[in-house]
Amino acid sequence: MSGPLLQRFADVMPLLLAGARTAVLIALGAALLAAMLGTALALLRTFSRSRGVLLAIAAFTEWQRNVPGVAHLFILYFGLPAIGIKLAPVLAAIVGLGLVGAASVGDILANALRTLPAGQREAALATGLAPWQAIRHVLLPQALRLAWPGFGNSACQLLKDTSIASAIAAPEIMFFARNLVTSTFDTTLIYLAVLVLYAAMLVPLGAGFVWVERRWRRASSAP
Amino acid sequence: MSESMNPMPAPQELAGFFAAFAEHGAEWGPRLAAGALVTAQLSLLGFMLAVLGGSALAAALGSRAAVLRLPAQALVQAMRSVPLLALLLLLYFGLPPLGVTMSSFVTGVLGLGLYGAASIAVIMQGGLAAVPRGQREAALAAGLTPAAALRHVLLPQALRVMTAPLLNAYVALLKDSSLCALIASNELMLAARGMASEYFLPMQVFLLAGLFYFVIAFPLSLLARWLDRRLGNGRRGVGSPA
Repeated sequence: MSGPLLQRFADVMPLLLAGARTAVLIALGAALLAAMLGTALALLRTFSRSRGVLLAIAAFTEWQRNVPGVAHLFILYFGLPAIGIKLAPVLAAIVGLGLVGAASVGDILANALRTLPAGQREAALATGLAPWQAIRHVLLPQALRLAWPGFGNSACQLLKDTSIASAIAAPEIMFFARNLVTSTFDTTLIYLAVLVLYAAMLVPLGAGFVWVERRWRRASSAP
Repeated sequence: MSESMNPMPAPQELAGFFAAFAEHGAEWGPRLAAGALVTAQLSLLGFMLAVLGGSALAAALGSRAAVLRLPAQALVQAMRSVPLLALLLLLYFGLPPLGVTMSSFVTGVLGLGLYGAASIAVIMQGGLAAVPRGQREAALAAGLTPAAALRHVLLPQALRVMTAPLLNAYVALLKDSSLCALIASNELMLAARGMASEYFLPMQVFLLAGLFYFVIAFPLSLLARWLDRRLGNGRRGVGSPA
């Protein structure tokens, strides 16, 4: 806890960056799960006529949405072993945050699909595309653009939420921060460095989503 | 690992799983309810602080004076670029070395208030922006002072658009208040943690804790969605739930 300020920052950064790697790994894994499961949920919500399926999706989505992430992680990490399923901390975090993300991706994408004009699907089918081809090549690409800003929010939220994985001992940024605090006692500086590190990841991530959105808008408004 | 995997519990195990609720429910219920009371206090006080701070920030964001606008923009951007948990830990562990010590409850309220203020400022800005420009001009032309125009013409219309997003912001704070458990605030999640290790029934206890949150948050989410349809005039909500 001595020495010039920059030196102290430089001292804590390597471990925090190691934590950032885990945080990014958790976020990427969870984003992949969220994208795949969320797309499936959105398509089922849009095209399934089975009451049971729709009800099950609604129940899943509302549970994920109205219960805090910490509770989801505790259920997966502390609860599942009691019924014989043991997940490593990082895996539990990926699954837990991935399921939360899937609910929000499913919601955003389903809303986007709903706002597409019905004629898009009819026209695609009329040109001879199979129903799944119409979904894959006509409906989803358009829905993706509508859903993009929402996806950007979800992605940032997901990266932020990796911080709670420290509560189940996943070795991410907050976890290493706590270790550093107990070894160096440079508490204020360490937690400030943590904030800077998160902002250094989140600001570019958010800006990246906005950049893609602008490019699309310019491409579609070009003559 | 595969030996310990047992994804399909036998029927008697499943019955035992639910029997735990019947057996311990009378002890768990009141303890979780006591935690939920602290959760309600944390989130409501945090929300009130967030509304106050958010109003001030929204006013500063809309100001023509750069001395007000730029710091407000920086604060909003900063709060939206960091996880709440990191902010809570900085306030709780990082301030005492500088001579500022707060209880975990006060830290929780302050952290939730600061964090919520940023999102509420954005909601309020969106709400005011949704009022057609002509409304203000007409009010001023009718002889109202700028303050009176804001109070009697602009805010009432903006509030219609803001109600549902504000309710969503509260639900987000309610969920976020669970992070206060990690700075030892004696709320719902911390109560559940204690009970989970005390009774060795983590699955049941955490599911029940989740249900407590759900029972409070879900009706509010439904209300927000209904209000959004009724009052939002078909406009998409500004601050959709996190």
